[in-house]
Order: sequence, then C-alpha cells, then structure tokens
Amino acid sequence: MEESSEPQLDAKSKVTSQLIDFEWKLGMAVSSDSCRSLKYPYVAVMLKVADHSGQVKNKSFEMTIPQFQNFYRQFKEIAAIIETV
Amino acid sequence: MAAELEGSKCLSGLLSGLAQDTFYGHPGITEELLRSQLYPEVSLEEFRPFLAKMKGILKSIASADMDFNQLEAFLTALTKKQGGITSEQAAVISKFWKSHKTKIRESLMNQSCWDRGLRSLSWRVDGKSQSRHSAQIHTPVAIMELEIGKSGQESEFLCLEFDEVKVNQVLKKLSEVEESISTLMQPA
Repeated sequence: MEESSEPQLDAKSKVTSQLIDFEWKLGMAVSSDSCRSLKYPYVAVMLKVADHSGQVKNKSFEMTIPQFQNFYRQFKEIAAIIETV
Repeated sequence: MAAELEGSKCLSGLLSGLAQDTFYGHPGITEELLRSQLYPEVSLEEFRPFLAKMKGILKSIASADMDFNQLEAFLTALTKKQGGITSEQAAVISKFWKSHKTKIRESLMNQSCWDRGLRSLSWRVDGKSQSRHSAQIHTPVAIMELEIGKSGQESEFLCLEFDEVKVNQVLKKLSEVEESISTLMQPA
C-alpha cells in the first residue's frame, strides 16, 4: 500500500490555527450613556491567527478582569504541563 | 393622583419590572402590562407619568452607581420635593437597590462591552508524534478552543495550536497585562 502524503496523525490540524501575534490593551470604561459611573477595567485582545491555508486573520475579543485572570491561570497550567510532556 | 400610586404596596413589583426592561434586556414588559398587573385601578393617563418618574429615579440611581449614603441623601431630597415620592416609597426603592445593585451594575457593564467577549475556554495538551519524515518526535502541543461571542449572537469557536515556545511567548504577554492591571488597581 502506497502513501503519497504524510499520514494525518492529528485529525485536528486541518481546523486549528496558528497564533502569529497576540496584541493586548488594558482599557478602563469610565462613563457611558446608560451609566455615568462605570469605572470598569477590561482587557481587549487582538489575536493574529493563520489558518491551515496560511491565511491570516484578526480575531478580537474583550475580557473582564476575572475572565483575564482565569485566562492567565489556564495558560500557566498549560505551560506547566507542556514542560513535563 | 390615585391613592394606589401614593402607596408602596406594588412598587417593589413595578421596580422589578422596570429593571427587567431597562437593565436586563428583557423586552415585552410594557407599560400596559405593568399597569394591568400591578395597578389595575389606575388609568393609563395617571399611570404613565408615575411610571416615567419611577423609571427616571431608578436610572439616576443606577447611572451614578450610588452607594447607600448617596442613595439615602438622594431619596430624602426626593421626599421633600414637590411631586417627589413618599417616605414609604423611598423605603421600597432603597430596599430594592440594596438587593439589585450588584446585578444591575454587572448588566450595565456587559452592555458597555461592544466587542465580543470570551465565553469559554478549553484546552488539551497532546504529545504529538510525527511520522517517518519528521524529526519532531513527541513534540507536545497545546490545542486551545476559545468561544467568543456577544449576547444575542452566535458564538465563534477559534481553535488554536501552540507549541511550548508559543505558549511561553503568550505567557510573557499575559504577565505584562497582569502587571499593568496591578498598576491600575493600586490606590493612588
């Protein structure tokens, strides 16, 4: 049996994207039309990602501070695990 | 003005209805619904300005995110004002704000987030074993799925792959964010 290409070991590699860049901004919402006294900090993130065809796209989202802290904690866990694998 | 509007019996229900409509984004709580359910004896002509007044008071309190001292001062001033509120009504409003302050504030903060938010995050670390042509045997990779979206819209799922180097790069950026947050949060 002949195989002309690399066997597909990771079935997910077709759908996963690669991170090219991670840009962030820490913002403070001060006041708005519905709330004069917002005083609400948030983390805005812009991810530059490349899909399997190499096309680069920007994906942005915002996080509250507790969400950011969870995001950070998850990355620390990943880093700890990936180091031991 | 109808006696029912001076009382405080149905006011707590009215405030809950107003909060649903104004802060929690539940449409369908109409003027007529509130009137017929809570103040059936009152005509719509009389009810309308009463509702507008209560809505205005609630919005002012929420907009300034009043603490309890500010609230007391604000409500006391209203009880002394012509066409203001009675002290029973002030007590109901005060009680209502005490139990809804946190939730209303959260809802106003969510409304001020115009970009998409991070809804959920899951990840997995694989020991990636590559094939005969590749030197990279057992390179671990982290696969992360981010669910991003905005209320009322469908989520987008973003699946990212990271190797150890990339994870550490992101981690470094995140530590910079954390540092900035600590600086921001420090009392001046």
